[in-house]
Amino acid sequence: MELISLYPTWYDPAMGSGYWIALIATIHVLFSHTSVGAAIFFAYLVNKAYREDRPELLEFVKKYGIFLLIFSYVMGSITGPGIWYSTTVGSPKGISALIHSFVWKWATEWVFFVIEVVGVYLVIYLVGKVDKRTHTYIAFIFAAASYATMMLILGILSFMMWPGSPEWFEKGGTLYSFFGQNTFAQLMIRTGFAMAVTAVVGSIIASAFKDDALKDEVLRKLAGFGLLGVSIMIGTYFWYVQTVPANALEVMHNRMPSWFAPAIIATFGLMLLYFIVALFNTRLLTPVIAGAMVVVITVLGLFPEEITRESMRKPYVAGQYVYSNQIIARDVPGMGIKAELPKVEKYGILKVHPFLPDNLRTVTAENKLAVGKQIAVVMCSNCHQVTKTEGIRPLTDYFGGETNVDRIKRYLKGTVVAGNIMYMPRIPLKEAELDALATYIAHLNGDNAKTLAAK
Amino acid sequence: MDMNPAAVHDMLYALRDPAGLPFFPWAFWGVGILTFAMHFFAVAVMIGGAGVALYGVRQDNPYWRKLGYAMADVSKIAVSVAIVLGVAPLLAVQVYYDPMWYTSNVLSAYWVITFVLALIVAYSLHYVFYFRNKKREGTPKSLWSLGGALLGYLLVGFIMHSLGYQTLSPEKWLQWYAPNGVVDNSGTKLHDFNVIRYVFFILLSVPVIGTYLMAYATYWSTRKDQDAAYLEFAFTLGRKLAMVGAAITTTLAIVYLATLPEKLHAFQTSLWAALWVIGALLPALVAWRAGKAGYRCGYRPFIVAFVGMLLIAIAREMLRYYAVIPYYNFMDYKVNLDWFTTDVFLFTFLVLGFSTLGYLLTVVWKAGKTEGVYEASPIMHVWARFNIGLMVFWTAVYFLLMTIRSF
Ligand code: HEC
Ligand code: HEM
Repeated sequence: MELISLYPTWYDPAMGSGYWIALIATIHVLFSHTSVGAAIFFAYLVNKAYREDRPELLEFVKKYGIFLLIFSYVMGSITGPGIWYSTTVGSPKGISALIHSFVWKWATEWVFFVIEVVGVYLVIYLVGKVDKRTHTYIAFIFAAASYATMMLILGILSFMMWPGSPEWFEKGGTLYSFFGQNTFAQLMIRTGFAMAVTAVVGSIIASAFKDDALKDEVLRKLAGFGLLGVSIMIGTYFWYVQTVPANALEVMHNRMPSWFAPAIIATFGLMLLYFIVALFNTRLLTPVIAGAMVVVITVLGLFPEEITRESMRKPYVAGQYVYSNQIIARDVPGMGIKAELPKVEKYGILKVHPFLPDNLRTVTAENKLAVGKQIAVVMCSNCHQVTKTEGIRPLTDYFGGETNVDRIKRYLKGTVVAGNIMYMPRIPLKEAELDALATYIAHLNGDNAKTLAAK
Repeated sequence: MDMNPAAVHDMLYALRDPAGLPFFPWAFWGVGILTFAMHFFAVAVMIGGAGVALYGVRQDNPYWRKLGYAMADVSKIAVSVAIVLGVAPLLAVQVYYDPMWYTSNVLSAYWVITFVLALIVAYSLHYVFYFRNKKREGTPKSLWSLGGALLGYLLVGFIMHSLGYQTLSPEKWLQWYAPNGVVDNSGTKLHDFNVIRYVFFILLSVPVIGTYLMAYATYWSTRKDQDAAYLEFAFTLGRKLAMVGAAITTTLAIVYLATLPEKLHAFQTSLWAALWVIGALLPALVAWRAGKAGYRCGYRPFIVAFVGMLLIAIAREMLRYYAVIPYYNFMDYKVNLDWFTTDVFLFTFLVLGFSTLGYLLTVVWKAGKTEGVYEASPIMHVWARFNIGLMVFWTAVYFLLMTIRSF
């Protein structure tokens, strides 16, 4: 039998696997960027503390360090594998594609990650226990390792959207998949973000200082650091936008919920305001305000950003060759990868899917509904909820309550099967499969009508 | 009903990632085994440490109490280490056994998510204990937090065990996924586990923490401000734990191997099964021999315990090889040789990584042994600058490549 590489599908009727991933990813982005920014800021402070003989700055490193350890390393190091695990169950082919291309890059990142984790413990716990020079060196090593983890993971994340250079499709290899303008621009934006978010998180601690002079000084330094970060972000954003393919830009501008853009712009505005206030009057900042700012950045800034990034690469999940519904959509000659779509088209998804019980491989009058549901789960549930009316883009939204199987079929044929909806994969279905899917959708609509009537 | 071997073979080879590997499969396999041993060694220290802490801090004996608080800290740091070291075998296993790993995870997806959440909760509880007991003496406060953390770790470990164990039976997957032809997409079940094997792995923490305590006593014995009677106490306890613990785990290993299912009978009589048992037994032998030396016994027991763990890791992976070889051989994975990324890794790992980590660990080691401030020698400073130089070089090459590829 001709099989293609499809895993079982996990379907979460409540939330959809996509939201699980987005949730863990948002938290992780916050922690991981804070840790990178803080590592750089620490190196600067430790250096300054020794040069100018200012032990109170070390005190800040120690205090903020313990907080940082918990806040970013504990949570960052769990949510990091956490994203990995959640994408594993939500999109196994997507993560598999990344892993197999980039395993050595990830392993390289891991080396820096180990250095970083050892480093953060040392920078904090060795305050006052080792000579100044050694401590300064360790702070530098920690900062460099921390930044290196970002330099590495970024190229992989960026490949999720697009290969670094288009030549990759023909030539293969990480030199082409990893490096490129879009990756470069993203690295700069993230560098800026790491600085800005570190400044905000750091001000939670600094604004609680009893010593006014020290509080003033550290908050100003953080504000300067943060302002520089925001400027880098805004500056490189325009560069970034130029490196993004046109259809993705179209998604970004027109297809996202209408509150996203204003929310992100407002987040930028608030961050600028926050830092400017901190520069001029540090008394206005309190731990509560600083904490609220972190929440604002997360909810209004990061969450929409993560969802947008997720949407911009549609209909692909990785490298513009693996579809969201896990099917390999195009040849990648450079890697010897063959598209699976032709096989699906030729034999039908029911025949080529490794994980289907035999009783569902041929459509019959009895199993039609069960087969239809499986087709919906396998082919659509990565982007649409296929059982209920809530959650991500419920399938039932698009059929106006239609219960006539033939009409649903005709509609699906013209749209989904033909593959002429921009953000959706082409989904070739055999006549019998289409029939089963349409029967299932009609059934869903019928059920909905009944529940509505009962209400 | 189990799938027939030919069908399982077709399924597994279809699932394999078409991108292939950037280097030969045996390399990833080796990395997987080595780093799993390291991961699990840290897990054992973490569970063992939490166990000793939970018992110790409740005792009136001041030595027990002191040791208990010390081990609560050791365990807390070991969690970080276990997580960091867990990432490496996680990467490796999905490179060479991707069909097994992804299927097993997807089939138990809710548990995979639970794993993440439970680990966050457990680790946070550990920090609650730490902050409630910053003085590290007297009657423990909020002891429930430490107990909760340990329970959480055990749950996390059970999920890990089950996810790994499910990879051994590809012939059963379809039946798990679609029992009697009805597909279950919910991912709410753990389909397979083996209590003896799980308990074996968890109880490895007893001999490991035992040898850790022996090393702990040796380490502090060079500092004059340490109480020799306390160190003797830690050593004696450690030696006892190592011997008794290894006796128990060796027995469990034998029982586990003796009760393997039929398809693994060939494994039972292989060299690898013997390796598994020897690996479990080693800590007992070395702890017994260290008796004469007393608490200045040196670090050999701890190192030998790691060697034992490595043997177990090898045997464990060979068992998986035996379990899937009727259908699947990872050695014939397609290779898309990519020297660029391989070389970057080798340089980063072997040169930059070893040198920098070596430097950092040397500093901790020496600083811990020094009363007051540790003053590094000029050689140490040269080493530090060398490491920083390597990092600067690395970063410069990265940006150079990025610039060349961008413009
Ligand atoms: C890669 C993710 C993805 C997959 C997989 C997917 N869709 Fe969609 N689908 C979308 C997006 C995005 C839209 C546009 C939503 C919007 O603009 O509101 C959409 C819109 C639709 C529409 C409305 C089309 C229109 O005319 O506007 C229908 C009908 C639809 N999908 C059905 C399906 C069915 C049936 C499947 C499975 C066979 C499926 N989709 C699989 C992402 C996906
Ligand atoms: C902190 C709590 C943890 C505990 C108690 C724990 C425990 C375990 C246990 C019991 C096993 C299975 C042994 C077996 O039966 O084969 C295992 C395997 C493994 N663990 Fe962990 N672990 C923990 C955290 C982690 C984390 C955070 C990761 C990843 C980042 C990880 C990665 C792995 C991997 C990759 C395997 C091997 C799976 C296989 O090869 O099939 N572990 N661990």
